[in-house]
Amino acid sequence: MQLRVLRGVLALAVLSGTGLTAYGQADPIKFGKPDPQDFEAKNFVADSAAEAVILCDFGRSRFEMMENDFKVVYDRVLRIKILKKSGYDWATLKVPLYKKDKQEEKLVNLRGYTYNMVNGQLTKDKLESSAVFSEQRSTNTSVRKFTLPNVRVGSVIEVAYTVNSDFLFNFQDWQFQHSIPVRWSEYRAGIPEYFDYKMLMQGYEALTVQERTENTGQFTIRFAGGFTGESSWSGGSGRQAASSETVTARVTNYRWAMQNVPAFNDEPFMTTSDDYVSRIDFELAGVQWPNEAYRSVAATWEKINTSLLDDETFGAQLKRGGFLKEKVAAIMAQHTDLGARVAAVHQLVRQSIKHNGQNRFYATSTLRHAYDQHTGNAADVNLLLIALLRDAGLEANPVLLSTRDNGAVNQNLPLLSKFNYVVAHVMLPDKQEMLVDATEELLPCGTLPTRCLSGQGRLIMPKAEDSRWIDLQPNQRYVEYRKVDLKLDEHGALTGNVHQEHGGYEAQHQRERLRTQGEKKYMEELAKGHDNWSLGKYAFHQQDDLQKPLSLDYEFATTGNDAAATTLYLNPIREFAGSKNPFIHEDRRFPVNFGAGMEETTMLTITLPAGYVTEELPKQAIVELPDNGGRFMYSVTNLNGAVQVISRMNLRKPVYSAEEYASLREFYTRMLAKHGEQIVVKKKS
Amino acid sequence: MRFSSLFLLNTGICLTTALAAAAGGKEPHYPVATLAPALRENAHAVIRTEEETLLVKSAGRTVRTVRRATTVLDEAGANWATQLVYYDQLSSVSYLRGTVYDAEGQAVRQLRASDVKDYGLSDGFSLATDARGRVADLRQPSYPYTVSFEYEVVSDNSLFYTTWQPQSDEQLAVEQASFRVLTPASLPLRFQERHLPKGVAVAHSQQGDLQVYQWELTALPAQEEEPYGPPLSEMVPAVATAPTTFEVQGHRGSLTSWQDLGLWNYELNTGRDVLPEAVQARVAALVKDAPDERTRIRRVYDMLQSSTRYVSVQLGLGGWQTIPATNVSNTGYGDCKALSNYCMALLKAAGVQSYCALVRADEPDIRTDFPSNQFNHVVLCVPLTKAAKRDTVWLECTSQNTALGYMGSFTGNRHALLLTPGGGQIVCTPRYGAAENRRERRADVYLDAQGSATAMLHTRRTGLEQDQFSQLLHGLDPAQQKKRIAESLPLSNFSISKFALTDDAKAAIPTINETLGLTLPQFGTPSGRRVFVVPNLLSRLPAVSAPVGERQTDIWLASAFSHADTVRIHVPAGFQTESIPAPVKLTTAFGTYSTQMQTLPDGTLQYVRSLHMPRTRFPRTEYPAYVEFRRKINAADKAQLVLVKTES
Repeated sequence: MQLRVLRGVLALAVLSGTGLTAYGQADPIKFGKPDPQDFEAKNFVADSAAEAVILCDFGRSRFEMMENDFKVVYDRVLRIKILKKSGYDWATLKVPLYKKDKQEEKLVNLRGYTYNMVNGQLTKDKLESSAVFSEQRSTNTSVRKFTLPNVRVGSVIEVAYTVNSDFLFNFQDWQFQHSIPVRWSEYRAGIPEYFDYKMLMQGYEALTVQERTENTGQFTIRFAGGFTGESSWSGGSGRQAASSETVTARVTNYRWAMQNVPAFNDEPFMTTSDDYVSRIDFELAGVQWPNEAYRSVAATWEKINTSLLDDETFGAQLKRGGFLKEKVAAIMAQHTDLGARVAAVHQLVRQSIKHNGQNRFYATSTLRHAYDQHTGNAADVNLLLIALLRDAGLEANPVLLSTRDNGAVNQNLPLLSKFNYVVAHVMLPDKQEMLVDATEELLPCGTLPTRCLSGQGRLIMPKAEDSRWIDLQPNQRYVEYRKVDLKLDEHGALTGNVHQEHGGYEAQHQRERLRTQGEKKYMEELAKGHDNWSLGKYAFHQQDDLQKPLSLDYEFATTGNDAAATTLYLNPIREFAGSKNPFIHEDRRFPVNFGAGMEETTMLTITLPAGYVTEELPKQAIVELPDNGGRFMYSVTNLNGAVQVISRMNLRKPVYSAEEYASLREFYTRMLAKHGEQIVVKKKS
Repeated sequence: MRFSSLFLLNTGICLTTALAAAAGGKEPHYPVATLAPALRENAHAVIRTEEETLLVKSAGRTVRTVRRATTVLDEAGANWATQLVYYDQLSSVSYLRGTVYDAEGQAVRQLRASDVKDYGLSDGFSLATDARGRVADLRQPSYPYTVSFEYEVVSDNSLFYTTWQPQSDEQLAVEQASFRVLTPASLPLRFQERHLPKGVAVAHSQQGDLQVYQWELTALPAQEEEPYGPPLSEMVPAVATAPTTFEVQGHRGSLTSWQDLGLWNYELNTGRDVLPEAVQARVAALVKDAPDERTRIRRVYDMLQSSTRYVSVQLGLGGWQTIPATNVSNTGYGDCKALSNYCMALLKAAGVQSYCALVRADEPDIRTDFPSNQFNHVVLCVPLTKAAKRDTVWLECTSQNTALGYMGSFTGNRHALLLTPGGGQIVCTPRYGAAENRRERRADVYLDAQGSATAMLHTRRTGLEQDQFSQLLHGLDPAQQKKRIAESLPLSNFSISKFALTDDAKAAIPTINETLGLTLPQFGTPSGRRVFVVPNLLSRLPAVSAPVGERQTDIWLASAFSHADTVRIHVPAGFQTESIPAPVKLTTAFGTYSTQMQTLPDGTLQYVRSLHMPRTRFPRTEYPAYVEFRRKINAADKAQLVLVKTES
């Protein structure tokens, strides 16, 4: 997806667009003209909590002809008030720049000032070029960093710069919201009729201004002279003297603005802040040249389907699994059951290529290369998986998705750039569907990694019209089960046997911990969570059988008081179920996204010392979330010489809305209160 | 100062033999079967062989080569299959090569030039740094396997020589490792051997014109750090090396003593403390009515803190040489060298003599018995010349909030190298003990008949106890401060009704006061007629888990502190006390602890707790006693009182 389309046309004529910036609206900020009001303390009383305030952030994007080619020209003026010393970091700014092959983004015309009010006089310090640094991060990315001089509490800093970009596909996006309050944020885009962009607005804040006006822009076409070749634009050909010609084109001018945008802060259990912050993104959908038909670039999901299947690092690779045909033949001979065959191919791929941690949907180069390297990105791993599944006689197809930390995909806007991952979809003959990923060593076949639990993915089919959305609902939950047998003595000391099982995503989590820490450290960490425990024998089971839970049996003992007591108080369930409400904060603005549901069960039996009976027992309780969202069940039963405590908690939904937050927090509060209630045991008199 | 130099690793030798044999696929390399079981135990990876060589070409140039083969036993050891080779403006990477062998020792993959990535190593806080890295990733999908890397770095910065410590991580065993230094006789090596096993010592020989120093280690089983134990570097063998003469970009120095190193640094920065006349005049006006030395220092430090900020730029020699004071006065920013130098210049204009001092901040203290460049930070030291008794004011010049004279956990309790015209001098930065690092808390808890409570707490923290609260206060807005506090409270169910942090500017030692109002739905646990209450609301000290297996290392109790708590519980009408916890008093060499509970005349229950922990060390045999001390504290901290409903 290069600019070949455009270049072919542009070779015909040289455009110099100066008429594309016609806006009716006055600019919200003038660089170099600070507002005296911004130096009066009374205007910042409401911002007493903030370390700095963005006074105005003003961006404009337009098209211009430069060096015989279209470029997107992006101007930005940013003015920030520094309110606290901790806000000094806002005086250091970074502009990331990208280049690929011969195309690049260039930073030009960078200017900056710091304004201070000193004894009633406004002073002005200029950003010197010695304070501007360039850092080459990798082959294609660099960062321009600069810092403003003489920044104090009360300073107003101001920068202006322009970025000229060859990348018309990635029109400059705009973020209205930041981690400090924003007084005014405005973005304008002037887009001539030749370019058709999809625009994607998101966030929890409302626009103050949303305008769209149309006018005509004056384009000056300059002919440098010399031989210009065939030109459908000018209608002429052959040798020409230097000349220019003016044509008129329709330009759509967009204007978006937000006023008084609150600071954005992360909350626990979020996918990525990019999903919640207020912003607008653009993607080129098509081009429309004069006297030519509209050329769609990424207009439909079907088109995406087709272009991916034609791509050398995607569709073409799905046909290149042949180098492993002997191994596939062996699997086919061994497994006639198709489910078992999927598992065997999954196993082969997992043991052949190590996921290098990079999430991509295009292969690095060829699957053969990745196989020889034994390492690759998510596409290298999962495209090989799909290729081999097909070779093994299965109906397997790619599912494009965006991982949780990459942000949500909008189904109404076919934007390939929003995806960053691919997994396999398998349709078994009985119409049973499976989603398979081979990047994780510790997940069983048929379970997606938690990073993939992001709503929906796009199934890429051999026939584009068959492509569709696939639910990425988790088929596993976080499951914990414990069975505990305790013996109490007259001193209050406990000895216990614990059998615990970690299932679903919890199994993967615990297997990972076990692998990293080793058995000894794992047990030390376990003991650390309990005061006054000494651990006895322990044994792990089903470490390698990924289809089954990881199980652990262990013994422990606690010491009691020096003297025997006539009354003993216990709340042993506290030792096994979590003791802190994960929802500490009173309110919440964004959904709670766990990714998958969870279930925790503890069954505990306490054998009392001879001659002791229970005096007080907590009452049974059931707490339920609205809409069948979750349930907590707690019961204490007096057996003969023993007490049985059962606690079951499950949260059924992977995602709870912000409106459900209060009940979710209350649910935990009630559960923890119940777990805190004591059992009173008394010696029979 | 720059931090980057710590990354430098090196050695060298050629790879051709290894690769040629590997390609034949006949002779196995590092088969896992030959690995001794004792080395696999508790290890994620085993270094099969490591050859590190430092070749001193001249006073200003060194060549370091490393050849290392590591068997990766499991996923947790997989980072040993990746290699980062650091370089910057003053050094370059000659080559980076790698090969992967399977468990049987057959080569399965060669690292190709196109597989090696080159990255800028932004440290995340510098505005500019020249630190870069070549990075190779040879991780494999199944275990075990062996990875060998070879690389060479040519450096024109001889200020740092290698500290050789092949066992550089926990749960890493070493089968065989060697270190060689080759140097001209005119540039003799200085070295310090640490924790070498019995029988291991330097082998000294001659090779042509070069003096050769060589060490070899074999069969080092995997190690683990223990709770309250020393860091790994205190447990494993190492050899530190340093030059006698060095040269960086034409600046030559000798390094046979702290005095030498200090002199080189002093002279490198000489003449860079000149201020514009206008600034000198401003300082003179600032202190003209302040004859007292300490007042002058305070005014200058206030000026520094309100008009400058920390911005780090580390390029080439700029990692060690400060930018001139004039530049700082023009831009209002600089790094630790520049701001310390600028403050020194301001003080000079105020008629106060001061000295820059090198420290190793935020990491274990330097080894004072081996003069070498072990520093990463600069502070300013102001000896008071007119004070009645000898006194010194220390200034952290990169912070806009730190109290005058305070060093804190970043730079306090350690050694520093004072840079004077006569050379370097090792001195101590301020020490903070249990008396300075105090937390005093007073809480009033109002209990209701259902066991719910509201509480109002006032906490005063001083010294190192206040460090992180000071950062919270100065670094975050009040809403974020409250969130952080909420996350750290050791309570299962609560809401915060009131919260404020303030600093007490008048206190002799940095002090932060905290006001905290809490709603506690389950402070007391009702059960029938009774309500159970743990009076120790927020100050419970967790127990220490007993060691799994025998304790191997000494006990280092590095942080000294003292805590004092008074909790008053206001009992609701209709209840009387059935039992209160018995008083506890523990007096040990580790520390002292006491709790006591009494009923005040108005019926309020008052709980008083005190814990005093000095900075100490004990032999490993004392560990069970320490565990027992902590267990007793933990038990006492959880003691509960029982209230019972009076018959009505």
